[in-house]
Amino acid sequence: MSYIEVNNLKKDFIVKKKREKGKLLREKDTVNALKGVSFSVDEGELVGYIGPNGAGKSTTVKILSGILTPDSGEVNVGGVVPWKDRKQHVKNIGVVFGQRSQLWWDVPIIDSYNLLKDIYRIPQASYEERLHELAGALDLEPLMRTPLRLLSLGQRMRAELCGSLLHRPKLLFLDEPTIGLDAVSKLALRDFLKWENKEYGTTIMLTTHDMEDIAALCSRVMVLGHGQKLFDGKLPDLLERFDTVRNVSVKYAVEPDLKLPEGVICNKTEDGLELSYEPSKLPTSKLLSILQDAGNIRELTLQPENTDHLIAAMYKELDL
Amino acid sequence: MRAYISVFKMRLRMELQYRGAMIGGILCQMFFGLVLVAVYRALYDSKPQSLPIESVVTYVWLQQAFFRMMFGTDSDLLDKIRSGDISYDMCRPINMYGFYYARIVAMKLMGSLMRAVPMLTLAAFLPKGWGISLPASLPGFLLAIPALLLGLLCVCALENITVAFTMRTLDSRGMQGLLTMLMMTFSGNVLPLTLFPDSWQKAITFLPYAQLLDAPIRLYTGVYELSAALGVYALQIFWIIVLIALGNVMWNANKKRMIVQGG
Repeated sequence: MSYIEVNNLKKDFIVKKKREKGKLLREKDTVNALKGVSFSVDEGELVGYIGPNGAGKSTTVKILSGILTPDSGEVNVGGVVPWKDRKQHVKNIGVVFGQRSQLWWDVPIIDSYNLLKDIYRIPQASYEERLHELAGALDLEPLMRTPLRLLSLGQRMRAELCGSLLHRPKLLFLDEPTIGLDAVSKLALRDFLKWENKEYGTTIMLTTHDMEDIAALCSRVMVLGHGQKLFDGKLPDLLERFDTVRNVSVKYAVEPDLKLPEGVICNKTEDGLELSYEPSKLPTSKLLSILQDAGNIRELTLQPENTDHLIAAMYKELDL
Repeated sequence: MRAYISVFKMRLRMELQYRGAMIGGILCQMFFGLVLVAVYRALYDSKPQSLPIESVVTYVWLQQAFFRMMFGTDSDLLDKIRSGDISYDMCRPINMYGFYYARIVAMKLMGSLMRAVPMLTLAAFLPKGWGISLPASLPGFLLAIPALLLGLLCVCALENITVAFTMRTLDSRGMQGLLTMLMMTFSGNVLPLTLFPDSWQKAITFLPYAQLLDAPIRLYTGVYELSAALGVYALQIFWIIVLIALGNVMWNANKKRMIVQGG
């Protein structure tokens, strides 16, 4: 059996609308946040969970971490139903909500860690070893005596991550952990997550809008939209499915005599020509030879596949 | 248990950092104390009451000195509920009621000690009839201390009920405003409960609000006989149990319907 089993998970939220003129009571709207989501995750997997804003990602994470009770459906995490055996369940999980904070604002972060030690009843020796290890990996040693409010966003995120991993959780939920981080911090965070996953076999579920996070970390990706699971598989497979249109820009020494096959869209700009084509219908090599035959090329750029564009195309195609 | 002691100590230390707030609080409470004393002296000048003025003035100073214990709120905690940071506490292997109760006790204990000690010292140096008087008797003073501690536990249970309301309404101000008004009236903060009509005394001293600070003050000023102390403690303990039970019921109900909004 898999470590996480989710079966037909449903959750509705009732939202009260603004009272309309002339009506006594406010009307209520039901938002189907999750409309029957199923999946399973094996121990040690690193899964990316993506989808547009409001797709139900955070709702799933909240249910899996025992904060929220679903309307129906079954969830089993390591043999426990999260919202029923909350205390038992939460001992084994770690959570990082990218936009919230678990550390105390006005006190040195080491004090927050000491409190977490007591909350999770971590034995002193084990705690010291783990803290030393995490502080080294996350470069926190010099910041231990600094109050949280003085840390930069990147430092704070590293500090939060350390707090969530002190008790050696078997399962880690990350809700947009790289939000607002600079490139260096992002890379460091990704390296650390890879290391933690490899070293301890920690199962990690990551929700993000940063496709590079997914590309760098996750062997598997799940796409959620409108409360339903739309894709579950490897990232390259996902990209292939939606890699429909590519762009080439080309600049000639003299105006060329260009005869393009059907299906290629050509736009003239100040800098030359912008072409877009579908690689599935016209192979890239064939297009290139047509371009070369047409005249003396001064500059040619093949735009690399951009994950963000692909995902945007996918959301559009799936009508999200 | 370790987690609760640990959060208690942490909140104590945090409270100690807010020295600016402490100085501001002392100045504000000294001002209010002087104004109230002047008002009661004027009242006594025109129409003396059966209770000696010294007793009323002492009552006022003790109320002002322990203002933080009565009306101080853990704004950090309320912010956590508003911002949703509370979701972290929800995924910890702890009892949330107990965890927050420990926090509130620490905040109110340290906050009021930091203010009460300098304030009562200042009030003791004021001229006779303006400042605080010595306790009626040494045993009365000693008996007032456990009553004060029980009062602290009681006010924290009340505060945790306010927090439980805040979890429903998200904004603490509405319910807090209402509960604060009740508290100001029935705890003796505005008008010493000892000055209420005799026919009201029985009902008013039974309410939970009278257990917080009024009961220990009456032991201190000798309005309550020494022999009444055990009865006072019993009533305090009764209310602590009732309020903690009520708070727990509210918290558990909240947990079931709780939704942390937003992503």
